[in-house]
Amino acid sequence: TCALWQLLFRVLSPLPAGNALASIALEVQARLVKSALCSQGYPRLALAQLPEDGSQGSRELLLALSWLLARGPVPEQMLAQTRVPLGDEMTVCQCEALASLGPPAPHMEAEGPVDVRHVQWLMGKLRFRWRQLVSSQQEQCALLSKIHLYTRGCHCDQNLGHLSVTEAEMLRDPEGGQKVSGAGAAHNLDLAYPKGLHFSCTPGVGPRTFWNDLWLIPRLLPGDWAAPLDPGGASACSLLSPLRVLLRTLEHESRRLEAVLAWRRAEPVFWQWMDTVLGTCAPEAPAAASQPTFLPWVPECGDGELELVVRELQTLEEELREAVERRRVAWEAKARGCGRGPEWSAARRAFRETVEKELGALQRCWEQDSGPAPAHGPHRLVRREDGAAGDRDLQAAELIRTLRSQEACLEAVLRQLQGQCRQELARLAGALPGLIWIPPPGR
Amino acid sequence: MSIVTVQLGQCGNQIGFEVFDALLSDSHSSQGLCCKRENEAYQASCKERFFSEEENGVPIARAVLVDMEPKVISQTLSKAAQSGRWKYGQHACFCQKQGSGNNWAYGYSVHGPRHEESIMNLIRKEVEKCDSFSGFFIIMSMAGGTGSGIGAFVTQNLQDQYSNSLKMNQIIWPYGTGEVIVQNYNSILTLSHLYRSSDALLVHENDAVHKICAKLMNIKQISFSDINQVLAHQLGSVFQPTYSAESSFHYRRNPLGIDWHVRPSLSGPSSLGKMSLNKDLHFNTSIANLVILRGKDVQSADVEGFKDPALYTSWLEPVNAFNVWKTQRAFSKYEKSAVLVSNSQFLVKPLDMIVGKAWNMFAS
Repeated sequence: TCALWQLLFRVLSPLPAGNALASIALEVQARLVKSALCSQGYPRLALAQLPEDGSQGSRELLLALSWLLARGPVPEQMLAQTRVPLGDEMTVCQCEALASLGPPAPHMEAEGPVDVRHVQWLMGKLRFRWRQLVSSQQEQCALLSKIHLYTRGCHCDQNLGHLSVTEAEMLRDPEGGQKVSGAGAAHNLDLAYPKGLHFSCTPGVGPRTFWNDLWLIPRLLPGDWAAPLDPGGASACSLLSPLRVLLRTLEHESRRLEAVLAWRRAEPVFWQWMDTVLGTCAPEAPAAASQPTFLPWVPECGDGELELVVRELQTLEEELREAVERRRVAWEAKARGCGRGPEWSAARRAFRETVEKELGALQRCWEQDSGPAPAHGPHRLVRREDGAAGDRDLQAAELIRTLRSQEACLEAVLRQLQGQCRQELARLAGALPGLIWIPPPGR
Repeated sequence: MSIVTVQLGQCGNQIGFEVFDALLSDSHSSQGLCCKRENEAYQASCKERFFSEEENGVPIARAVLVDMEPKVISQTLSKAAQSGRWKYGQHACFCQKQGSGNNWAYGYSVHGPRHEESIMNLIRKEVEKCDSFSGFFIIMSMAGGTGSGIGAFVTQNLQDQYSNSLKMNQIIWPYGTGEVIVQNYNSILTLSHLYRSSDALLVHENDAVHKICAKLMNIKQISFSDINQVLAHQLGSVFQPTYSAESSFHYRRNPLGIDWHVRPSLSGPSSLGKMSLNKDLHFNTSIANLVILRGKDVQSADVEGFKDPALYTSWLEPVNAFNVWKTQRAFSKYEKSAVLVSNSQFLVKPLDMIVGKAWNMFAS
């Protein structure tokens, strides 16, 4: 049963797997699984009521797993999460960026009035870091472009035509003998070129993250999906040359692919068996009005503040539940009052049609403005002569156009909000007698 | 990461030459007091920042020279070429024949717009040569017409065209007993415009540097060349490669990455040569202090004195406001050297004086 909890956790966890996952306690994993399933709409209440110590409920867990497998291509999704990127890649959709935002920072109680100069200082710092990020990215782009240009004709795959950074690095230094920094952790493999080609900023691409990811990939999968590496993983890997490490990871990936293929072949058997399992379960009453919510619970919370937060959340949950109940009752009363006759259903149909039409119009207008929606997931960067793009390829120029129009929309919104802020500030300043308000020069 | 320098006016061009010269001769110095590999990394980093390579191996300064008179620029170009060790680019300069008559408005409103395209083109060519571009270093005086007026104009343009790049303006604060009658007007106009478009103002006061020459170096007849060389030495010791706490395995990537925090930033280096802690700082709070140590025994140097909260303004912790950069590689034959770059109230008094004088002149 414990293994099933862990497997469900691994499947449902939105985070890219890392060493941290292994250290989360079973109870916490179980709780997170319940909460994730609940938010995805899993209908069976019995799972929510299972004890979290892994003592019973393997049948319910199996049912949950098959529910997930039926909903989406789980093995393929997991493969995509852990693939080895050989090319230079970047993502064009914003999903990953938004997902990795994480929970909003806890609201800090300001002790007394906040010094506005401190806020300005923070803003300045933020702006500075932002500019550093932008210039690092520009540098990275320039260097990528150079590598792609200089290695034209070197790739055995005619479609690609040139090498990616990692491929070029493999050729240049397969044994990893030209490390510069000997000190520090093994993942500080600094591939410093003589002319100072550093990849400092890593929005997902570059030799350094590549090596970081390589250390992690073999360790993240439970059971025999990972080749056994010594527990002293990182330090052991530092003795291997980069080429050998890459080969190993590619071997792992092939093994995983083979495992998925084997699963697909055996899948019909699984579903036949699951039918029998479902048959042995007692039929459940349709879900009650409200599903239980799962508050985050960390076993070793000794902090008083955390208890406070938990209590606040519970009170909030109560209030929301009451509010929802009240609203529902009121609405039902109103709806019942409207009658159920044929005029009512005709009116309802008319409403639905108008709403659908409006939504459709909005959607078309949005799609027209922003062009075709970019596909999700990472794309490999390939430099090509004009006109040689395939059907499924995205063209950089089009993407740039789309992004520019989105940027223009967002800037317009920003300017509008800034204008509102300025008006509000002027109003506040005007309310204080004797205060002269000099707004900063608008740029 | 490379910096593009824009030298404006007589002052800017003369100082610019001294700075490049100081940087390159330090980089080639044989008394680095460090191992060969360290020295090579230092040289490579310095070279990439300030110079680009040409086929015959002579480094070319990443600079654009602008002046409204031809004399100073041609002198500067020839001095650089004569040294044989480095030179300016052949087409890196822009000059006219008329001069600006120490008139800020002439520089800002007439010369600037008229020659905007040519000047910005030169700058763009220089930026495109950089593999990794980190920002601009603009050298100008406040008191004259060309440096101050065109400098303010160009900085504004750079803000518009390269809004993501850092711009640091090196400002020369004129002598109190001024050289130019309208220098106070020029100074105020310059500062008020730079306030909006520059990211950092690095200030050198002529009076202060003059004192260094007279008292610390015992020069009898102080010429502008002496002053410029002291200035260049100070700047060189700030800009040459260092390690900071974040990236202790390679030289800091961005030499302009001095976190000035809040704008406007008026800052001035206030010590040079041996380590000297100026106790007067107690009455002069800073919002940022940067100490740069070079040479022997840097690892064991004690900088605790700089972490005294009394040195900093009330709303900032020393840990946020104080930074140290170090390298074992000695600078310019000084076995040990230290530089303090401070964003403090140091210039409030001089600024008040200038504003006062300007008002008096205006009102009379």
